[in-house]
Amino acid sequence: MTGAVLQAINGISFAALLFLVASGFTLSFGLMRVVNMAHGAYYLIGGYVGLSVVRATGNFWLAIAAGGIAVVLLGFLVDRFLLRHAGDNHLAQTLLTVGLAFVVGDVALHIWGGDSLKLQVPMFLRGATELPGDIVYPTYRLALVLFGVIVAIVLWLVYRKTQLGAVIRAGVDDREMVAATGINVDRLFVLVSALASFLAGMSGVVGGAFLTLHPGAEWEILVYALVVVIVGGLGSLEGAMIGALIVGLLDAFGRWLLPEFSYFVLFAPMAVLLLVRPRGLFGEAH
Amino acid sequence: MSRQQWIGIGVLALAALAVPQFAGSYWTGLITQILIFGLLALAVDLMLGHAGLMSVCHAAFFSVAAYTTAILQVRHGVPAIVAAPAGLFAGTLLGVIFAMAVRTRGVYFILITLALGYVVWGVEYRWSSFTGGDNGVTNVPRPVLIGLKLDTAEHFYYFVLVVLAIVLAAYRVLVASPFGLTLRGIKASESRMTSLGFATARHLFVAFVISAFLASLAGVLYVYYNRFVNPVSASFPISVEAVLMAIMGGSGTILGPFIGSGVFLGLRNWVSSFIEFHAAVIGIVFIATVLWAPEGVMGFARRVLARRRSGASTR
Repeated sequence: MTGAVLQAINGISFAALLFLVASGFTLSFGLMRVVNMAHGAYYLIGGYVGLSVVRATGNFWLAIAAGGIAVVLLGFLVDRFLLRHAGDNHLAQTLLTVGLAFVVGDVALHIWGGDSLKLQVPMFLRGATELPGDIVYPTYRLALVLFGVIVAIVLWLVYRKTQLGAVIRAGVDDREMVAATGINVDRLFVLVSALASFLAGMSGVVGGAFLTLHPGAEWEILVYALVVVIVGGLGSLEGAMIGALIVGLLDAFGRWLLPEFSYFVLFAPMAVLLLVRPRGLFGEAH
Repeated sequence: MSRQQWIGIGVLALAALAVPQFAGSYWTGLITQILIFGLLALAVDLMLGHAGLMSVCHAAFFSVAAYTTAILQVRHGVPAIVAAPAGLFAGTLLGVIFAMAVRTRGVYFILITLALGYVVWGVEYRWSSFTGGDNGVTNVPRPVLIGLKLDTAEHFYYFVLVVLAIVLAAYRVLVASPFGLTLRGIKASESRMTSLGFATARHLFVAFVISAFLASLAGVLYVYYNRFVNPVSASFPISVEAVLMAIMGGSGTILGPFIGSGVFLGLRNWVSSFIEFHAAVIGIVFIATVLWAPEGVMGFARRVLARRRSGASTR
């Protein structure tokens, strides 16, 4: 019983990280119709930059900001000079961003090496916390759950309750119409793209403190994020929340019960969904 | 086919037959590899170039076929005549399961095939008691064909050539058939094909399974060529490189994927001899292809030919 509870908490804390990664991916797809296969590479670069900042300054919060901002800059350049040429062509976007991810991954390998690296978290987040029911659990991962929930609430409030969110949602539905009402869609795109990049870079830093940063981590996290958005529905923030929870929990129990087949567990939700609801739980036809 | 095309095929066939006479065993080996990955690219291109769906999981069929053949031969001493068809069957069966991805279109199809392919890589990698994990399965024997052991580079090259000749002839018939036309109709406008009464979902399903079969065939040839298979064979780069090869050479053509495979593997082989940043170079090749050569070598050749023809007629 304790084992199951422990796995459930594992799953929820992984879900918090998955939500951070997947929300950026799904937001940029929802509004700009851009499939960014380099989203995992953004995560990795953010994590590595954060790692270097922690090593240099010892400040974890600065690392989160630096990782996020570094990726915002990278993302801005990529949008300007690369993705602009792909237009609405998903095939071209996919190949361009896959190529970009190869380049970024290789450069990162030459800078930070091939070992698995982990970020140092601040003193008060180290160690373990005792939970009711005699469960002792790493404090950092509990904090991650809290952080994920806060980010989710803030994103949801902005998305659903503010004027900016309303404009973004309108843009998701029909961006020509939004442009016709006099709203500067280009500026909106830059803003949302920067937000998506920041989320990716920041998740690299917080993720790099409990998973490790290593060559190949960019594809692992990307695939998990993809399954989250496939399950939740592309372009839906609520879908990313539910999807992250489903995938996080399945992954934790999969690793626990069937260690050799833990990846296979990811197959199940996709298969069920494809058969029942190919657009995902919250997905709409685009 | 026109007379010119027959002549072209004849010249190509003669050149292919002559390769081992001029190239040493190293180059014959590289060209064999180009042909095998060209077949994988051709498999991907049946979906991409004809049906308009970009699959990034074909390395999974390739790899499962290779593993099945390797495990049967190495661990159970099953002869190649049984192990090779078993490999084809296993890869194609996985294709039947993954063919549920054709319930989706466009970007969903790309994302789902990516995730499905990754699951196969993950299982091969983690299930090490059965697959050998990172080390994979080694010492796969080269097959013996009617008393002829295919253990030299030359012999194996000719074997691959014969298999390809049969497959390409069949492929040509397939894409020129009403079935192939229907696929291209779906690519152009699925809603129109549906309203014309075509069962588009069924066509896509069958196309996907055929393309998985072709990828499995490439996988079986690969495991005999390489004599070794590990989870890298199922990894995402193999799948997406096959897509790139098809585009580089010319998507929707028969020769294109092989040209693309030649350009890609030739380039990689050459670059890796003096540059340390291998993956970055591959990445730049991806970006450059999309930005500057989206129609590939065949598209370029066609444009040059068309220009020359129109130039001749105005004169």
